[in-house]
Amino acid sequence: MLIEVEDRLLVLIHAAGHFYALDDVCTHDGGPLSDGPVDGQDGTIACPRHGAKFDVSSGAAKTMPATKPTVAHEVKVDGDQVLVRLNEE
Amino acid sequence: MSSTLAPAGFSQETFDAFLAARDEPGWLNDLRASAWARFNELSLPTNKDEEWMRTDIRLFKLGRYSPASELSEIESPRALLAEGVDLGGSCSSVDGLSVESELSAELADRGIVFGSFDKVISEHGDLLRPYIERKLVDPHYDKFSALNAAMFSGGTVLYVPKKTRVEQPLHSLSTMTDGGVDLTKTLVILEEGAEATLLSETASTSTEAGGLHCGSIELIVEKDARLRYVNLQNWGSGVWHFAHQMGHVAQSAGLQWTIGALGSRLAKVNQHVALTGKDAEAQVNGVMFTQGKQHLCYNTHQHHQAEFCTSDLLYKAALQDVSRTVWRGMIKVDEGAQRTNAYQRNDNLMLATTARADSIPGLEIEADDVRCTHGSTSGRVDDQQLFYAMTRGYTRQEAVRMIVTGFFQQVFDRITIESVREALGEAIGQRVRDL
Repeated sequence: MLIEVEDRLLVLIHAAGHFYALDDVCTHDGGPLSDGPVDGQDGTIACPRHGAKFDVSSGAAKTMPATKPTVAHEVKVDGDQVLVRLNEE
Repeated sequence: MSSTLAPAGFSQETFDAFLAARDEPGWLNDLRASAWARFNELSLPTNKDEEWMRTDIRLFKLGRYSPASELSEIESPRALLAEGVDLGGSCSSVDGLSVESELSAELADRGIVFGSFDKVISEHGDLLRPYIERKLVDPHYDKFSALNAAMFSGGTVLYVPKKTRVEQPLHSLSTMTDGGVDLTKTLVILEEGAEATLLSETASTSTEAGGLHCGSIELIVEKDARLRYVNLQNWGSGVWHFAHQMGHVAQSAGLQWTIGALGSRLAKVNQHVALTGKDAEAQVNGVMFTQGKQHLCYNTHQHHQAEFCTSDLLYKAALQDVSRTVWRGMIKVDEGAQRTNAYQRNDNLMLATTARADSIPGLEIEADDVRCTHGSTSGRVDDQQLFYAMTRGYTRQEAVRMIVTGFFQQVFDRITIESVREALGEAIGQRVRDL
């Protein structure tokens, strides 16, 4: 799910009972990860352009052609709200 | 902040109020209405479009902006390109509303027309009509070109009659207030054998200012004419900058077009040059410096439509912080454009490992007797050069600044106007930080 937090676009992922938030950008080609499929079993989201996979919890690049991680943000669930703390790295 | 038309955004009411506030000929109103209809049909581009794949505008909210209806009283920013230049005329606008237009009496007596679009259209509408109706920039191309065609205001017109040589440069400055809107259009017409130099620059009222620029530039260089055109984009770091720019160069005519791209939050510019007559020449120079989170995207197009034409494009960019540039260049040679000589080159100097430059040159050639070449380089500052400069007594920052200046020297050498070289050099020098 695409969300906007303080002038920044993030993809909010619900997988295997947990919520995760990543920058909505593939570090290979700048593609929007929010348009890509999530694999709950291996905990990855794939870029729809060239198939690069990123770890949903750490943002680490898991497969080519991406080699650099995308930014992962801290997520907390508080009742019926999902809270995101931006990682400003 | 300038006052705005009610209601906010680009609604039908906004457009109707805009037209009602202007006293323009019917043919222009019809053109505006046609473009407005197209604007309403079109959606904003998305990153699924090939041209926009690398430029993400999902955070851009068109509805947050409205064209100004009244002039804001502001202190005009410094005009960098005009310093120390003996000008033949100048004009300025704030948020697309004309402030002043001046042209020396000597040039006016020789038939030269210069000033803000609003002023010139009211005095010389019939003269401009055929050139505006040529629609060098296609109003139906995308939502931004349609918006500009429907609601352009302010901006600059320069018309130089046949065989008239204008020695003194002319200057225009478009200023935008924080959160303002600038929908200016520049139209330059050089009749057969004419010569002129136009220095055009944009600036915000503060370095951090936001706003929306949606502009167009049309340069018509007729047979044997010579135009030197400089366009310096120096908006505040929050400005969204969208522009369509087109030059038509006729037989044996010459265009030297220099762009400086320093400001804005995100820029997406289509810069096209069409060589429409035999022996036409175009030289395109680009200087870009990006910092912070800036994203500048330039799509350039050198279109050879006639034989024996020459085009030479050189874009140089230096990037620091987490900024990004995208350059997509295309040389298109039509079937009949034999003996074409075309070159395009893009060099990028990476001042930070977190910056990113995408450089995508391209050729599309339908003729079989041409010379078309392209090149692209991207690299970091050479540590050995830095070390050597520091052994000669320079601080690290002085050394970096010197190397960056040297990187741009190749394009500065092609710019024949001293004030432009100095303005670009100074602006870049101020921005360079230690590595």
